[in-house]
Amino acid sequence: MASRGVLSRANRIKSRLQSALQPTIIEVEDVSHEHAGHAAVRETGNNETHFNVKVVSSKFDGHNLVKRHRMVYDLLSDELQSGLHALSIVAKTPKEHGL
Amino acid sequence: MATFNMSFLTQPHSSLPYFPNFSSQNTPSFSSYSLPKTSLILPSFTVRRQNRTITRRIVFVAALKKLSETDPLTVPVQPNEISARFPNESGVYAVYDSNGDLQFVGISRNIAASVVSHKNSVPQFCSSVKVGVVDEPNRTALTESWKSWMEEHIATSGKVPPGNEPGNSTWVRQPPKKKADLRLTPGRHVQLTVPLEDLIDRLVKENKVVAFIKGSRSAPQCGFSQRVVGILESEGVDYESVDVLDEEYNAGLRETLKNYSNWPTFPQIFVKGELVGGCDILTSMYEKGELASLFKS
Repeated sequence: MASRGVLSRANRIKSRLQSALQPTIIEVEDVSHEHAGHAAVRETGNNETHFNVKVVSSKFDGHNLVKRHRMVYDLLSDELQSGLHALSIVAKTPKEHGL
Repeated sequence: MATFNMSFLTQPHSSLPYFPNFSSQNTPSFSSYSLPKTSLILPSFTVRRQNRTITRRIVFVAALKKLSETDPLTVPVQPNEISARFPNESGVYAVYDSNGDLQFVGISRNIAASVVSHKNSVPQFCSSVKVGVVDEPNRTALTESWKSWMEEHIATSGKVPPGNEPGNSTWVRQPPKKKADLRLTPGRHVQLTVPLEDLIDRLVKENKVVAFIKGSRSAPQCGFSQRVVGILESEGVDYESVDVLDEEYNAGLRETLKNYSNWPTFPQIFVKGELVGGCDILTSMYEKGELASLFKS
C-alpha cells in the first residue's frame, strides 16, 4: 500500500500518471479548500481530498471518455483508498488538445 | 352577524423552494432551484355563523379601499395588454367571471403577472379583476388586506368565493413536484434476500436513466451531484435519482456501487444499464450537445 511519504499527494498523483501515461501535458491541482464544507472532508480530517487533473496523452487515443477516466482512476486506486475523495478529470489526446 | 374562524391550512409563502422529499438527516442546504413565485399560496378557511360582532381590522389596511368601493378592471386577452393595464405591484386582487360573480380573492407580489397566469389557465373565470395595491407589502399587511376583502365579501354575500374554499386548487399554482428519489431497500431493519449488487443491476437495467448522487435531487449535497441534477433537469430528462448518502434505505450502496461500476467516485450516471460516467463526462457531453441523442434513443 502506498505510504504517505514526504511527497504531497499532488506530487504522487503527478508522478504516477507521468510514468504510466507519458503525457505531453500534465497538470495536477489540489482544490480541496474549495470543498471544505464537504461531509467527506470533515470526516477524514484530511486536507488532500479533491483534485483537478488535466492529462494530454496519446495513450488515450481510441478510448472513449469513460475508458480514459477509468485508466486514470485505476492508476490512482491507492490514493482513492487513502483519502482521495474526488477527481475532476480532463483527459485528451494531443490532437484533441490542438497540439 | 357572521364571524369567521380562519384556520390556515397552508401558510402563504412567497419564495421558499418546494421540498417534497426532505429527509430529516439532511441539513437544510440552499437549493439552486428557487422558484420565483408571484402568486402566494393562500390560506383557506371555514365560516361559522355566530352572534358576535366583527372586530375591526387594524390600522394598516385602512389605506386599502373596500372591495365594494373598488372598481373592477376588465381583463384583456393578450398578456402584454394585461401587463399594461394591471400594476406590477404587490397587493390583493379579486377575480370576477363574466356573470359578475366573485370567483377568487388572492394575494400576489406581482398582481399583473398573477392575472396573466390566471387568464391563461382559467380564462372562463377571469372576466374582470378588482385590484388593491398594498403599500409596504410585508406578509402581514398582505394577509390582513386579503382577510379584509374576504370578510367584506362574506358579510355581503354569505359565501366564500369558490376558488378560496379549502381543497380548491384551481387558482393556486403548485410548484412542479419533483419526483421522489428511488430507494434500493425497504430499510435497514429489513434483511435483504437479494444481494445489493443485484438490486443495483436490476435498477439500472429497468430504468432508462439513473443518477446515483450525493443527497436528494431536491437537495443535492455535493457540487458535482448538483451539477448533474441541474443538467438532467435542464435537458428535461425523465430520470431516477438515488441518494447514496441515505444510510437508512441505501445502506452499503456506496461501496457496492463502486465495485459494480468499477468507478470510484460519485455522482454516477447510468443510461440503459451502462455507466456513462460522472459529472465531468456528463458536463462535457452537455457542452458538446451530445446529450440529446444519448437520452432520446
